[in-house]
Amino acid sequence: MDTLASLLHTSPAIAWMAVKIVIVFGGIFTLAAVFTWVERRGSAMIQDRIGPNRAALFGRIRIIGLQQLLADGLKFLFKEDLAPTDANKGLFWLAPFLAFVPAMLGFAVIPFGRSFVSGGTTYHLSVLDPGNGMGMLYPLAIGGMAVYGVLVAAWSSNNKWSILGGMRASAAMVSYEIGMSLAVVALFMTTGGYDPKDIIAAQGYLPWHWNVVPHFLGFIVFFTCMFAETNRLPFDFAEGESEIVAGFNTEYGSMKFSLLALAEYGHMMTASALIATLYFGGWQVPFVQNPTVALSITSFVLKLVFFAWVFVWIRWTLPRFRYDQLMHLGWKVMLPMSMVNLVFHAWRMSQGH
Amino acid sequence: MGVIVKKVELTWLDRTYVWPVMKGMGITFRHFIRQLFTRTSKRYTVQYPEMKRVMPAGYRGLHELKRFEDGAIKCVACFMCAEACPARCISIEAEEFSDLNITQGFEEKRPQVFKIDMLRCIYCGMCEEACPKDAIWLRNDYEVAAYDRLSMQYGKWDLMNTYAEADGKARITEDTTPTVPRRAITPPIAS
Repeated sequence: MDTLASLLHTSPAIAWMAVKIVIVFGGIFTLAAVFTWVERRGSAMIQDRIGPNRAALFGRIRIIGLQQLLADGLKFLFKEDLAPTDANKGLFWLAPFLAFVPAMLGFAVIPFGRSFVSGGTTYHLSVLDPGNGMGMLYPLAIGGMAVYGVLVAAWSSNNKWSILGGMRASAAMVSYEIGMSLAVVALFMTTGGYDPKDIIAAQGYLPWHWNVVPHFLGFIVFFTCMFAETNRLPFDFAEGESEIVAGFNTEYGSMKFSLLALAEYGHMMTASALIATLYFGGWQVPFVQNPTVALSITSFVLKLVFFAWVFVWIRWTLPRFRYDQLMHLGWKVMLPMSMVNLVFHAWRMSQGH
Repeated sequence: MGVIVKKVELTWLDRTYVWPVMKGMGITFRHFIRQLFTRTSKRYTVQYPEMKRVMPAGYRGLHELKRFEDGAIKCVACFMCAEACPARCISIEAEEFSDLNITQGFEEKRPQVFKIDMLRCIYCGMCEEACPKDAIWLRNDYEVAAYDRLSMQYGKWDLMNTYAEADGKARITEDTTPTVPRRAITPPIAS
């Protein structure tokens, strides 16, 4: 690390930060892109189809269709970039970034591996070191920013369907945020802190001490709300072919559409990272007390990929909700459930557990 | 008459919604695993350019003009198929081809031009049904496509050779003079 820093004429801290940023965002971006393919291939398998397996390098080398990502990306880049005449051009251009950037930013505080000491300095495997004062509040706050991406995209494109989809989606996201936050608050209470490092340390290495066991109700609420937050299928109200065409991204094409789509997958990655960190022990390896750094990273990535796959899996299992059902579920089921969870844990703590 | 709608009573387990979701996910996961570990050849999807579907016996695909053993065309240019064709895609020009007459058992008429416009053809099989000589068949080739319209006009030789390779027969490009009588003519009964 020191040699790299001296080569780049920076301090080791900055070099380490740069490396972390490249690894985290490169990794998340790649995973998000790969999951567009996993989604298509997985859905195909679930429906007894085969899915995209045709894309080939030089028309010959087929790696189970993984080049589809490359082909899609290239296609999107070379498509004509249209903006509707009556659209608010500035916001129309801004919206994909507003959607994409918060999806990636949420990952900044999540530790993806065990901290380690090398040469007298402690290296933390998260972009923002623990003890930054934001902790888990940061991804939740950034998650709230995601509403802007959808709403701005919808509003700026000056299209009735877009605005309907955007309004619906933002209403859903906002109402599910409350239940989600309350579920997380109960978790902060029992942990005694909201720093991801504390949360992970408090969970320990035994799977039955992970937060998912004592906070099972909270986990269900949080998990459900994550679907609403990421705008994925049981709650995908931003779009709906049968009702409002493509919803908030009706007017989008080429790379802008691609960014909006990638934002969804970025959200999915961040959401699975959050679930893994908050409820499944983060980088903790089951039954291994002090895992090596590599093992802890592997454990975290496996958990992340698994939950991302659960997102895909649920999407192709469940039918969509109606809008009123969504609101009913959000306000009359999820919110009371997380309230009950909160009160239960408060009572439990008052009993000295 | 009213229909009695059976109302499904949900148990409390079903009402939680979580359990039915898990059951559903079990079903989809079973499908996923089954599809993942099925060999490509056993899957429902026919991966087209590499795998081709075997068409059932009665399939009406690309036409073939049948020929006799010696390579002569079976068609006698009677225009029945052209008449029967609802899409009007068959055009025939007849010719006489020998001095031999019917009493000797030879057909004396055959198509000089037999054209089917494959862009017009609707593959209904009426020509096949109308043919008194069983000379036109619709068979199992469904890959009828071309890059330009002109190559979709199938002429007499195209139609006679459509299944030559599939059947392992030689391609023929010119009319052979028939040598064998096509049907036995019962000799006039001596009175």
